[in-house]
Amino acid sequence: MKKLFILLSALLVLAVAGCGGGDSKQSSSGGEPQVLNLYSWADNFDPAVIEKFEKTYNCRVNYDVFANNEELLAKIQAGGALYDVIQPSDYMVTTMRKLDLLEELDKKALPNTQNLVADLRSPSFDPESKHSVVYAWGITGIIYNKKYVKEVPTDWSALWKPEYRGRVILLNDNREVIGMALKKHGRSNNSTDPAAVKEAVDDLKQLAPHVLAFDTDTIKQKFIAEEAWIGTIWSGDASFVYKENKDVAFLVPKEGTTIWADTLAIPKGAKHKELAHKFINFLYDPKISAQNYEYIGYSDPNEKAVPYHSKEYNDDPILKVGAAAIASGEWLTDIGPALPMYDRYWTELKTGK
Amino acid sequence: MPKTWRNHALLAYALAILAFLYLPLMILALYSFNESRINAVWSGFTVNWYASLFNNRRVLEALTNSLAVACISTVISTVLGTTGAMALNRYKYRFKAAINGLLYLPILIPEIVMGLSLLVLFSQTAIPLGKVSLILAHITFCVSFVVITVNSRLEGMEAELEAAAADLYATPLQTFRYVTLPLAMPGIIAGALIAFTLSIDDFVISFFVAGPNSTTLPLYIYAMVKRGISPEINALSTLMMLTTVLLIILAHLLQGSPKKASPADE
Repeated sequence: MKKLFILLSALLVLAVAGCGGGDSKQSSSGGEPQVLNLYSWADNFDPAVIEKFEKTYNCRVNYDVFANNEELLAKIQAGGALYDVIQPSDYMVTTMRKLDLLEELDKKALPNTQNLVADLRSPSFDPESKHSVVYAWGITGIIYNKKYVKEVPTDWSALWKPEYRGRVILLNDNREVIGMALKKHGRSNNSTDPAAVKEAVDDLKQLAPHVLAFDTDTIKQKFIAEEAWIGTIWSGDASFVYKENKDVAFLVPKEGTTIWADTLAIPKGAKHKELAHKFINFLYDPKISAQNYEYIGYSDPNEKAVPYHSKEYNDDPILKVGAAAIASGEWLTDIGPALPMYDRYWTELKTGK
Repeated sequence: MPKTWRNHALLAYALAILAFLYLPLMILALYSFNESRINAVWSGFTVNWYASLFNNRRVLEALTNSLAVACISTVISTVLGTTGAMALNRYKYRFKAAINGLLYLPILIPEIVMGLSLLVLFSQTAIPLGKVSLILAHITFCVSFVVITVNSRLEGMEAELEAAAADLYATPLQTFRYVTLPLAMPGIIAGALIAFTLSIDDFVISFFVAGPNSTTLPLYIYAMVKRGISPEINALSTLMMLTTVLLIILAHLLQGSPKKASPADE
């Protein structure tokens, strides 16, 4: 018994020392390093870039993670002043702006954001970039494996071809999938016209029984392992797949598509606003940006960073396709009262009614 | 003859069950040696993920957070739970049954309800979300389990031993220290182990009440799904499994020699 006691108390001492140590590091030392509380997607920065920022500004970055926008919204609403920098996606920026949860950005403190590609400087969810700056972005397109898909697809209807039955993957996302079908019929992916949406969904119902999976989380594995031959995918993921399996190719169909972005924003009442601005500005420094995007593998939205990227990155055919198609992308916007209709159709599609 | 046939069938059945239980864990461990950054295809053997795990500050921070929260909430909930169980077991008072019943409630209500209500409570009382709120929440759901485990141990103990100690002029404190506590210890340790396991595993409640600098391992792994779970997590899980196995062996060794150990302890 005594031995177990010793074990337990040793664990406690360790634990307390662990937390206590962390706290004293923040408060005791003379320089009083500041803390930046970052709330973001997992693995969304090159760790070395964050370390560089910590060294340059003598601070500590607490990097906490969320898995979806709704989780972020809930935490910010529950007591948002705890975080200094957050990363809402496009439509969540709209929602948060409506709810007045975002601090207005001080443009004078963010000179480097001028390095952004022009197309991303005025996205429809925040046209003047008042509250958010685009950080990572991507575009939905068709991925296919050249071994099985002999005819190069040019439009969305390629997914409907009978020879790929059972080998098609659609994203597991209501707005993405219905939006894709709307685009196929030449409409906006934000259409709220019941007739247009019905037409798109009826078309999807022809495809749904032949779909291998509605998948967003393990879609990369399915294409690397060649389980799936053709499907819809985000450009960043497509580039990831391409690195592991050179037989795949990616393209953006001519009817147009959906574009998305994760942004950087500061929640209302943030305690370390100045440092938050410094952090955002730091990330758009061309050299830093190049290092960061080499690591995360998405398209770098920073125009000035091109010369600092490796040849391999600049020549990545998939990122090139994505970057060339920015203009053909349409942002998803809040469709308000039409959302229940989308939800109902989505359930029908997934349950095969 | 039929008997051996039956034995074979039983053996096969037992092996099938074991495979069912352990195959997923073995595959998880196997893929921690996979060269590919994603668990799609086997592309070669490497131990690099173990090396990079120890350089991954985020994973290590999440692990430290998990361990710190689990250790602190285990100790506090074990102390609270044990004293609570003693009180419930030894004293008679009004509404005893009702209070007993209330203790079961945190076990029975869905975690998601508990997480949400704790989140509302914390934001109403302006307790900032972070390690403190996380520890408070974990204590809340661990205490009930400790009370119940300790209580069932106390139920099985006879009051005569304590009466005998009192007869021999032991003060109440001495009786507690030298008679009650040692007798209740297996229950207390079991309770503490349950609390630790629950705390380190917990996802749903932590999901609601975690704040800056308190991302635990389950929360971190969940959030990684978007970019693909890296084999570093497989490596970490494998190490954690090994640690658990070692701890179980250690516990068996400790338990296995009680007759030799206890006189030496005195």
